[in-house]
Amino acid sequence: MSMVRDTLRGKELLVTGVSGFLGKVWVGFVLDRIEELGRIHLLIRGKRQQTGYDRFLRMVERSPAFRPLRARHGANLHAFLESKIRVHEGDIADPNLGIDAGVLDEIAGRLDAVVHFAGLTDFQPDPIQGLETNSRGALNVADVTARLRVPRLVHCSTAYVAGDRTGRVPETLVPGVSPNGTTFDPMTELELAEAEAKQHEVRSERIDRIADRAKALGWPNIYTYSKGLAEHLLSQRTDLALTMLRPAIVECAHEFPFPGWNEGVNTSAPIVWLMSSWFRRLPASPDHHFDVIPVDTVAKAAALVTALAMRGEAEPVYQLASSSANPLLFQRAVDLNSLAYRRRYGRDESTWVERNVKRYFDGVFADPDRDPFPSMYMLREGVREISKLLEEVDVKRFVSARRYAKEGPDLERKRKTAIIDARNADRMMKRIEEMLRAYRPFIYDKDYVYETHRIEAATKRLSAEDARAFGFDIAELDWRKYWIDIHVPGLEQWSLPVLRGERAPEDPPFIHTKNESQAPTEPPRPFLEA
Amino acid sequence: MEMSARMEMNASAAFFRFEGTLVSRPTLTAAAWLAANAQGFGERIARLGNVALAAPFMFETPLKDTTIASRMAWMALRDVSEDRLVVLGEDYATDFLIPNLREVGLELVRAAKSAGHRVVVISDNLDVVVRPVCDHLEIESVVANSMEMRRGKATGRLNDPVISGHIAGDWARRFAKEHGIDLERSLGYGAQGEDGMLLGAIGQPCAVSPDRSLRRLARDLDWPIVED
Repeated sequence: MSMVRDTLRGKELLVTGVSGFLGKVWVGFVLDRIEELGRIHLLIRGKRQQTGYDRFLRMVERSPAFRPLRARHGANLHAFLESKIRVHEGDIADPNLGIDAGVLDEIAGRLDAVVHFAGLTDFQPDPIQGLETNSRGALNVADVTARLRVPRLVHCSTAYVAGDRTGRVPETLVPGVSPNGTTFDPMTELELAEAEAKQHEVRSERIDRIADRAKALGWPNIYTYSKGLAEHLLSQRTDLALTMLRPAIVECAHEFPFPGWNEGVNTSAPIVWLMSSWFRRLPASPDHHFDVIPVDTVAKAAALVTALAMRGEAEPVYQLASSSANPLLFQRAVDLNSLAYRRRYGRDESTWVERNVKRYFDGVFADPDRDPFPSMYMLREGVREISKLLEEVDVKRFVSARRYAKEGPDLERKRKTAIIDARNADRMMKRIEEMLRAYRPFIYDKDYVYETHRIEAATKRLSAEDARAFGFDIAELDWRKYWIDIHVPGLEQWSLPVLRGERAPEDPPFIHTKNESQAPTEPPRPFLEA
Repeated sequence: MEMSARMEMNASAAFFRFEGTLVSRPTLTAAAWLAANAQGFGERIARLGNVALAAPFMFETPLKDTTIASRMAWMALRDVSEDRLVVLGEDYATDFLIPNLREVGLELVRAAKSAGHRVVVISDNLDVVVRPVCDHLEIESVVANSMEMRRGKATGRLNDPVISGHIAGDWARRFAKEHGIDLERSLGYGAQGEDGMLLGAIGQPCAVSPDRSLRRLARDLDWPIVED
């Protein structure tokens, strides 16, 4: 007997944000683990020449998040998707989410809930986009939800809306009171912020102005401000039943779709990279909590909360974090990171320097207010000088004419590669430097312990079968195994290439679409919005 | 001390002293290696110095006392994290011990298993080092020292009862009673003089490539001696 499966049996959901990390895993998880679910309506933006439908199809066929689904359905994947998915091209920034009014009316009668994952997760995005997506977008989603006959909205926020405070963070929200206790009107604040952002033509000025507004209310950056505003705006709505999820730092999968999967550059990737580099200094407080939570732990809990919301049994806010039930401190994370890289660098395929020197350099903590020696600034200067030197160097002058005639093109190629490497290193260090500056409030200034009583209580009420499939199981996570065997290898494979400016790894094309004996050559398209 | 597998009543066992019969590296080298791989270079030097202080108590000097040596050596690991001890223990076992297991010991373990004896490995090394080797050999019963932990960090003290170089016959009898082992029908393998009392309490003792003092004892008591 499964409460979650029974609740979702035959139900239809509208889901936003499937192209994001968490959204992808959640949709893949629900499709794979809850066969009883009726249908998922996906809101997806078209991008460049790709329609929303094409983007989704590519996602399902190439994203590792959908490996379990591909493995399970094989040649029948498209038929399965046809029965379970309907794609609506649109954008949360648009009124009615950009969905045609007729289509909206048609599906409104059938939908049972809206699950809203879409959002910008950059810490300092362009405020115009940040507010448009995270704040105004949430209102647009709420408007559409309100048109449903059973209007339930599960809104994915972030634990870091806690803002300017330290210590235990309860699962509460006082509408109209900001993290530093300032009373404000959320709608007025949003309108003023939007107007102010539009006044400035230069992006950096916009960021500075809106970041100042955010700080005045107790939010350390535009991301938490825009997400915080969304929470306050939504909580004032009386025309819908709202449940908010507040995940902490969502990172590599523990089990689903497979151990280690990650997408893009999330919060821990720059920290892990920094700790594995020669620089290896982390400007964090060793005793503060590093609130990492595997993406599939969040996905499971989100499925449970969605079911509870549909039954009318959900609480208004659920925090999904590790700091309360199974805390990981920065001290331990840095130690585990050093141990993970000690093993990684000790492998046969590592370079001599990695195997014999680098593996013995462990990560250490640094004071963010004092530049260590060598500072990141000095390292970047050094790399830039090397790059400049390589650009100016005339290889002919350093080798004999005979050797140049023989090996010239090869040497020139090596020189160009070295220049590109130096530039990439500089770019990466710049990015890390900016990220660390943005992270400072969360890793040094403030220490948050997010209470997770509500999801723990909901898990306790589940049957054994449901608890295994959908329970909040962060307390059982073995950080040592997770960090060394799953998280660091996962980041190395899926996130650090992106940080280095390389393309995100994808799975090879899905062969069943090309195999006429197993599937039609043209994938069926009926699950595209009419 | 740890005994992971419960014995059937009156089962026969084969007791192997880890040091000397299965591995040739002394316990002190594990302590030194763990100390040398602590977090941070300064810490490594300080901890290594601490281990070095234990050396006079370990080797053939007038101060020789392996119990003191063992306690002093492990004290050097105070404040090392449990994660680091477990991971480095596995690495030490994988890189240094498993590739160099003594052939004679392996043969005796195989023979003991095929004769239906429960194999029990006894070591004054840390469980984090011994356990991976025993997992590799598919030996479930391990009696080794464990480090006392407080808030995820080693205190530098060993949990009681401490397994030292010397294991008294009383210990073996108590252990056999607790775990339902018939000592008379059991085998005992040791390699060092300190193992004499343990072997003396076991029905069928055997010296494996013994050092001078155990060789003399084995000859006096007519115990079989197995060489490499």
